[in-house]
Amino acid sequence: MRRPLARLTALCLASTVVLTACGTASDTAAPLPDPADWASVTAAARGQILDWYMYNGDEAVNAFVEGYLTRRLADEYGVRLNVVGVADTADAVNKVLAEQQAGRTGDGTVDAIWLNGENFATGKQAGLWYCGYPAALPNARYVDLEDPSVASDFGVPVQGCESAWQRADSALVYDSARLDEADVATLTALTEWARVNPGLLAYPAAPDFTGSMVVRTFLYDTAGDPATLAGTFDAAAFAPLADELWARLNALEPALWRGGETYPVSQDAVEQLYASGEIAAYYTYGPGTVATKVAEGVYPDSTREAVPSIGNIGNVSNIAIPANSPDRAAALVLADLVQDPASQLEFYSSAGIYPAIDIGRTTPEVLQRFAAVQAGPSVLPLDELTARSLPELDAGYVTAIEDGWTANVLQR
Amino acid sequence: MRVPRGVRIGLLLAPALTVVVVLFGGGLAQALAQSLGYQPFLAPRPLGLDAYRQLWTDPAVRASIGVTLRIAVVSTAVAAALGVAAALTVRSLGRPRRVFGALLQVTLPVPHLVAALAMLLLLAQSGTLSRGSNALGLTGDPAAFPTLTQDAFGWGIIISYVWKEAPFVGVVVLAALSTGVAELEDAARALGAGPWQRFRHVVLPVITPAAGASSLLVLAFTVGSYEVPFLLGRPFPATLPVVAYQQFRDPDLTARPLAAAISVLIAVLVGLCALAYLALTERRHPTRLVRR
Repeated sequence: MRRPLARLTALCLASTVVLTACGTASDTAAPLPDPADWASVTAAARGQILDWYMYNGDEAVNAFVEGYLTRRLADEYGVRLNVVGVADTADAVNKVLAEQQAGRTGDGTVDAIWLNGENFATGKQAGLWYCGYPAALPNARYVDLEDPSVASDFGVPVQGCESAWQRADSALVYDSARLDEADVATLTALTEWARVNPGLLAYPAAPDFTGSMVVRTFLYDTAGDPATLAGTFDAAAFAPLADELWARLNALEPALWRGGETYPVSQDAVEQLYASGEIAAYYTYGPGTVATKVAEGVYPDSTREAVPSIGNIGNVSNIAIPANSPDRAAALVLADLVQDPASQLEFYSSAGIYPAIDIGRTTPEVLQRFAAVQAGPSVLPLDELTARSLPELDAGYVTAIEDGWTANVLQR
Repeated sequence: MRVPRGVRIGLLLAPALTVVVVLFGGGLAQALAQSLGYQPFLAPRPLGLDAYRQLWTDPAVRASIGVTLRIAVVSTAVAAALGVAAALTVRSLGRPRRVFGALLQVTLPVPHLVAALAMLLLLAQSGTLSRGSNALGLTGDPAAFPTLTQDAFGWGIIISYVWKEAPFVGVVVLAALSTGVAELEDAARALGAGPWQRFRHVVLPVITPAAGASSLLVLAFTVGSYEVPFLLGRPFPATLPVVAYQQFRDPDLTARPLAAAISVLIAVLVGLCALAYLALTERRHPTRLVRR
């Protein structure tokens, strides 16, 4: 028994080494299209199958992508869209990372990813993205490339390595049957309400995308003046603020869901808690999608949204194309198509997603149609939602906040 | 011309072995390399055991070891006890034995992910049980219902594992009991053995290796499984696989060696279970091993 086992182990190890070595042979793909010559891009895209990795936890976004976008890509460009849903965008980035690590430089399986923030930064750190195309997209004329939220992504300069797709502005969702407008006017009023009504407020554990945003919103509120947090990460300025922030969030814990003893694992879980009535208020990055849930009866009719006085964090999310995408032309067509004013309008009216383009650059007719979209009483109108928009913090802050929250609030 | 025996066996095993080696061995080799700090995408750093030293200082990992072992051991013990009891009960049923034996197998093909989601819908504070007890007037608002998911002890995870694994142990033990045990018992009875003596000296020796081996498989699985503790557990303290994945998802790539080191630790724990399983099956069935 002993000797054959040893021999087997040796065989396994030897073949592992051989096979891992084999995996690093690289392939060469067809000549890559030049976005400056757009006709050549659309010609090359025809017949390609576009593997788009995207977070698929939002039904309204899924419906827009699988309906409207899929149809237009097929009918107008002959591109077949294959949406690959991921629960966490980091999974898609890890896939690209693993492939490029294994030497697949020209024939990856991922053609495009919907992402921003840390996931973009991770890929940029490892040099995963194809860069230099966003300004060359025909529809880029509708995008304000100088806008800070487009030109930099959570403080990381975009430098042409991703192109804008949609804007997300955060908001507080609450049940007006259990809170009134005064309770949501400021974060202090909200925490006071939670102290009196414990267990009805929740946010997911950071580094969840939304949970991290809630902590950052409290940081802005603790700092008072958003200008103190502008620019790149400043550890010396952050330290005293952080102590104050952790103290504040720890003091809030007894008023949270489950007495802050634990936190929901995801934003999905938080929204389920709201739908089942376990909680009465939560923060979201997708305030436009609440209308659908109210209409479907998932959320109570008394659902409303608010932006507490400090303002609301907003960001632009993007499409990044891995450098090893074999269907780069089709990915470029997608990046361009989503910036088309007609697509942005359809996205806004059907899914409640806010435009990443500067709608002031479109025609008066398009502007009028944006203004005519009726979302219902549960959703904040576009102007109220964007009136006090706060920029996303530098990625250095985000990491420090997520690690700090885990160590000082979650593990405390 | 005759192919040498060793080569023939090697060729016959090659397809299965290739799958194991490529998928498992390849992953393990990568994890080992990364845990030592091999990250070709970043600026080169000296390889070393830093990640393993970090294992003992990282608060998430430290808290995780106790939780992981507690959940695995309790789930395994309860599943083993219920599984053996179910097998013995089904065996004593006489005619309806077939039906109940088949019933034991119903949960086997259900994926753990589905089981965990079903438990979530059943046991959460706003779940079916809570709604039922509310309708009966036993509890008031959802928060009044006992916390069975994301609870401090891990009951939700344990219940989910037991629901899946007790029937597994039961099926294995039932199979062991069907190999001529009835005849041996009849013989013992004819020789004057009482019910307890028959159980102690005939049935128990037959089911012990089966129950032990299947329990070890359950233990190995519950130590290394991810989806159930992710869905039903807490973000902190979490089980080792959940912590490994949390680290793996850290946007800072320098956290990867720690993630890989945790994975290697899990592989070692599961490997120990596998070795114990081999030792047990070898000791109990010396005659069944082919020796040449």
